[in-house]
Parts: sequence; C-alpha cells; structure tokens
Amino acid sequence: MESKRKVVLAALAVRLALAPFFMHAGDVGTIYESSIMILKGQNLYDFVYQRTMQMQYVTGLPIFFEGYAYHPLLIYFFAPFYWIYSIIAGPNPVMIDGHYPALPILVYPWTPILLFFLKIPIFLADIAVVYLLARSDLKKAELYAFCPYVIFISAIWGMFDAIVAAFLLITYLTYEKNSFTSGVAYGLSLLKLYTIVLLPLFVVRLIGKWRELAMFLAGLTLTFLPVVYYLIVSPTSFWNVLVTFQGTRVMGGVNLYNFIWIVPDLRFDLQVSAYTNVLLVISLVLLLLHFGRKGPMLDAILAFMLAYFLFGRVLNEQFLVSILPLMLLCRECDYRLWVAPFVFIFLRSPFYYFAVPILWASPVFYSYYLSADTIWRGLQAAGYLMIPMYAVGVAFSLLLLLNLQRILESTPSSVRFGELLRSISRTAGFQSPFSRVRVLSRRVRILLR
Amino acid sequence: MFFVIYIVGLSFVPLIHQTLLSKNAWLGYGTGAYALQSQRYFILFNDPYDGSSKPNIHINPYFAPNARISLLEFSDWTSWVNGFNLFNDFNVTMRGNQEILDVTYMRPGITLHKFIQVSPDGNGVIVKLVANKELTAHLELWKWVMSSVNGISASKVSKPIVIPTGTVINYTFWYRALNAVGNGSILLSRNPTQIEVWPFEDGFNKITVDFINSEMSLTVSGSMSTATTPPFIWDYSDLPYVLPVVAILVIAVYLLVAWHGKQKKSRSRSSRS
Repeated sequence: MESKRKVVLAALAVRLALAPFFMHAGDVGTIYESSIMILKGQNLYDFVYQRTMQMQYVTGLPIFFEGYAYHPLLIYFFAPFYWIYSIIAGPNPVMIDGHYPALPILVYPWTPILLFFLKIPIFLADIAVVYLLARSDLKKAELYAFCPYVIFISAIWGMFDAIVAAFLLITYLTYEKNSFTSGVAYGLSLLKLYTIVLLPLFVVRLIGKWRELAMFLAGLTLTFLPVVYYLIVSPTSFWNVLVTFQGTRVMGGVNLYNFIWIVPDLRFDLQVSAYTNVLLVISLVLLLLHFGRKGPMLDAILAFMLAYFLFGRVLNEQFLVSILPLMLLCRECDYRLWVAPFVFIFLRSPFYYFAVPILWASPVFYSYYLSADTIWRGLQAAGYLMIPMYAVGVAFSLLLLLNLQRILESTPSSVRFGELLRSISRTAGFQSPFSRVRVLSRRVRILLR
Repeated sequence: MFFVIYIVGLSFVPLIHQTLLSKNAWLGYGTGAYALQSQRYFILFNDPYDGSSKPNIHINPYFAPNARISLLEFSDWTSWVNGFNLFNDFNVTMRGNQEILDVTYMRPGITLHKFIQVSPDGNGVIVKLVANKELTAHLELWKWVMSSVNGISASKVSKPIVIPTGTVINYTFWYRALNAVGNGSILLSRNPTQIEVWPFEDGFNKITVDFINSEMSLTVSGSMSTATTPPFIWDYSDLPYVLPVVAILVIAVYLLVAWHGKQKKSRSRSSRS
C-alpha cells in the first residue's frame, strides 16, 4: 500500500476508534439537537432566539443561550449522518439536555453509536486535509494526522474546526487556479464565522483581475444563499443569534483577555470587550496595506488569522485547528503552537468531562465522576485554575505575535510597512527601547570592525 | 514594547474593577447570577438553574478582609410557599438595581418578591419577602455548621428540635482555617409560627422558619473574632492582585527565552564565519 494511503487510513482509524466514547456534551448536544430540528423542518435560529429572550427576561441581563450560532449550511454536513443513525436506532431521544450548565441524560447503547455517526463529517474533513497535505509533503500530513491536539478536538471533543481547516486549505490551494472553487470553499470555511477577517484580503488581491474577482464572489455568494433565506424568513432571530451574539460576546479564551473571567460584572465585561475591536481593526488594516497586493498568499492568510487570534475578543481552544494545515505549509511558522491551546483544554474543562459517555454507562463510574468533580469544583472556586489559564493565555498570545512577526519580516511589503510603523511611532512620540539598543549595538559593531 | 504594555496594562483591569467599581452594587454575571460586595459582606444570588444560594450571605472578617466565609445560605431547593417549592414550582425573574436585588416568584394566584439589600448602616443584610396575599411559608436557612443556636448546643441534641419562637435567632460557629469564632444573628420582623434547628455531625446545619403572613423580613448579620494571629488564607478575591504578577512573569520568561535564542543564533553565525 502506498504510504500516502496508509497515513490517511491510520488517521481515520485512530479517530473512529475514539469517536464513540468521548464528547463535549454542550457542543455535540447542540449538533444533535439541531440535526433533529432541521430534519423536522424547524427553524434553528427561532429556537435559539426564543431561549435567549427567555434567559434575558428571567435574569434581566444581556446573556445569550449558547445553541446553534453558526452558518446555516453547517447543519447540512451533520444532518445526513444523523438521519442514517436514526434509521438504525429510531427517533427516540438519546441525549437529553446537555446545555451548559446542565449535564445530559444519555441513553444506552445508542449514545456511542450516535457519537460515531455525528463525528464522521469531522473525520472526513480531517482526512481531506491529510490527503491534501500528503500530496505535497507526507511528513506534514503525518504531523497533522497524528497531532494529539487535532485528534482531541475532532475525535474526543467532537468540534468541527477541521471542516473549517479543510475548506480554508482548499481556498488557498485553488485561489490562483480556480477562483470560483476558491470562492465556494471560502464561503464554506465561514461555517465558523471567524474566517470572515480574510474577506478583505481575498477581494483586494483580486482587484484588477476582474473576471477572477467576479468568479470568486459568485462562488462565495452561492454559499450565502441560505443566509439570505434566513434573513428573509426570520430576520430578527437570525441577526440576534449570528451577529448580535457572535459580535458582542464577552472576550476570553486562550488569549490575554481571559482575565475578564474573574470580573463578575457582565455589563462591564461587555464594555471592555468592545474596546478590543479597535486594535483588531487597526491590525487588519495594517496587514491589508502590507499584504494587499504583494507577498505570498499563504503568509497573507496566516498573518490575518494570527492577527485575529491575537486581537480578536474570543479565541476558543479549538480555533487553531483551522489554520494548522496552513501553518504546516508555512516555513516561518512554528506549528508547535498547538501545545498551548491543548494544555488550556485541561485547565478549563476536566478531562473526565469529555469521558461522560463512558462514565454515564454505569452508576459506579458516575459516582467516580461526582467525586472527581467535587475536587475540581473546589479548585475552580478557589481560583487555582485561573492562574495557569491566564498564564497560558498570555504565553499563547506572545507566541502568536512571534509567529506574526516572523511572517512580516520574511515578506516584502506592498507599501513600506516598516516605515509606516516607524512614522506612526515617531508621531506618537515613543520609540521602543529594544530598537535603541539594536541601533547602538550596530554602531558598536561597525566601530569594532 | 507596545504589546508588553498592553498585556500588563490589561492585567490590572480586574483589580481596578474590584477596588473602584464593584462596591455596594448588585452586578450580574455568568449564566444569570448576581453578586454584591459591601464593606463587610459578600452576597451571592445564584443563577436561575441552581436552587442553592438564594442568597448566600458571606462575611469578610475585619482581620482577613479577603476571606469570604458563608454566614447563612437561603435555599430555594428546600423552601416552600403554600406547599409549592420555590425552585421547582415558580417562574422567577431577577432584576438588580444599584442596591436592591428584586427576585419575583410567580405562579397562578401567588406573586412573591424577595428583596435583598445591605442595611443602610452596612451592618447586616436584609432579605425581605413581600407577597400579594397571606401565605404559609417554610424557609430553610443553612450554615455548615453552627456550634450553637440560641444557646442550645448540638452536643445535647440528636434529633431536630423546635426552639422557642421569637424575633431573634443567634448562633455561633467555628472557622477552622482562620482559627476564628463567628457569631451570626437573624432578626425577624415578626414572630414566626415555628423555628426548628437540625443537628448535623458536631453542630447544627439548618434552621427552618415557618410563618403565616404576607410579609417577613430577615436581617442577617455577623461578626468574627480570633484570639491568635490568623494565618494567611487564599481566596478567589485575591486573583486580581495575582494576575498582573503572572502577566509580568510570563512576559519576562518570554523575553528571556527570546534574548537567549538570539544570542545562540548570533554565536552560531559568528562561529560559522
């Protein structure tokens, strides 16, 4: 068997073996619940919106129900597999109410089978990435295929950032060759909305190549048709769930902003979170000036995504999966960045939380869960876990910055970016002490020569 | 350099909020919980998905202001009005203004408000129940654990006992971590029909108050004292002081590693040349 196929099959086998026994109850529960609703022809956004309104009415706070808040197309990746499952298992519920902070009631033996089916689209995406990477470099394909972080997010957590990764990779690979396919792939990468930051880059790059631009936008528009449908059918719900919720979330995650989790004042948290957008917009504009017309596309995409991860208000543990294939292709980037979000997962959620399908299978295991959870909650309530979480968040932000700097240093700018930055700092009246030291040491070296 | 200042600057946000902005006001957070920090008390009112801590009144001892020691917890899980459970049988809404948290319990025919605020002199916490009609209420108040209630010590009791009704309930407790003795007091606005205390291990863990009325207010206050120098105890409220230190340490390590890496690189370059 050729080695490329071996890697693909081994990657698939590892994931399939883990799939039935683990899950993130909240996230897999959302996909399960949404698959049922979509097959019944119900409106997902109306459901989430009603729950949000109910929570806001009860508490008097601007809080949101954390349900299906994704691109409408996403659920069509999962619903067919749920449908196949329901042919085997029947329509009875097997996972009842897993929304945070509740824990689900699971029905056996069907839960593991359900998990197996619901994770197949994620695995197919992972396999597509492995296959595409293997075409250029088998070593890189292996790194992705057997990366503990990727396996954890896809096979144990059950999160679908691998689908975003696959479409983002296809967007990049087809961008020069087939603008329409690239546009479609980019539209599909928006299943999780954070790749929206790339839109200005893709558009600006094609200005002047009008035919390609039209094809790219046509492909993109095609994926937006369901969005248009929901904007017509239920504009208030759709806007609230997708734009208001995603656009006004409290900052935090594996970033320097997670300190906000210890400020128990939602209105204050939301205000502070809004300010982060300023830096994000400035950094994206500067990057557009840098990469708008020149420089390798791979570096440009990664720079935009890294800037978003650095300054964007929310950076969940799984987001890095989306750019990991591109990082593997990039010479300047260090793909080992995944270690930080991987560590963060276990600081934020206890490992046994992901093993709920195993622990719920027997009252004995369930009692172990409760004992472990008492200890975990004690640590959490005392704030002991927050300290390493914050440290990892800050460290990850610094490493993202380092990778971004490496990319910027390695690429020629379409405008004189360095000069632009220098002029800004001169106007602002400050100069980095490091740059002073650099100038001084350069002069000393010249003198010594 | 900008980024370093940015990280360190932001790490002070929780401290600024805690010291300047969060005093004496009900603040909502998480999935719908509310909390208030006054000079002496920290009050938590849990989110709608949890029937415990409705509210949970904590005391900050003068000799360890960072510590939050539970003084008394009202439980909706185990409290009833006209035979209906406060957590399971009522629709609840919560509205926090600056000083008063208004929790409204509704079901057909019954509307009950629970107003929670710190007393004007700051020495107690008032939990006031106001209903649209006369009710038969059973409230359960928890504390793990009280050494004595109204002078009755748990060592003399093995079963729940009814104590003489009155408008004052005094209790004592021992807080091991601080080696301190605590006193709690519940002042009732009217005479209840029954007060019962429940033994648990080496103390009491519950006081139940039954009354028939459309209004009842309970003013909870407490104090703590220690004969010895109390040891330092870590509390969640210390986190705002720690995060800036963590930020500076992480940045320092990062800069050190980056500097070391550069040195190594330049050394290997010069040795090659």
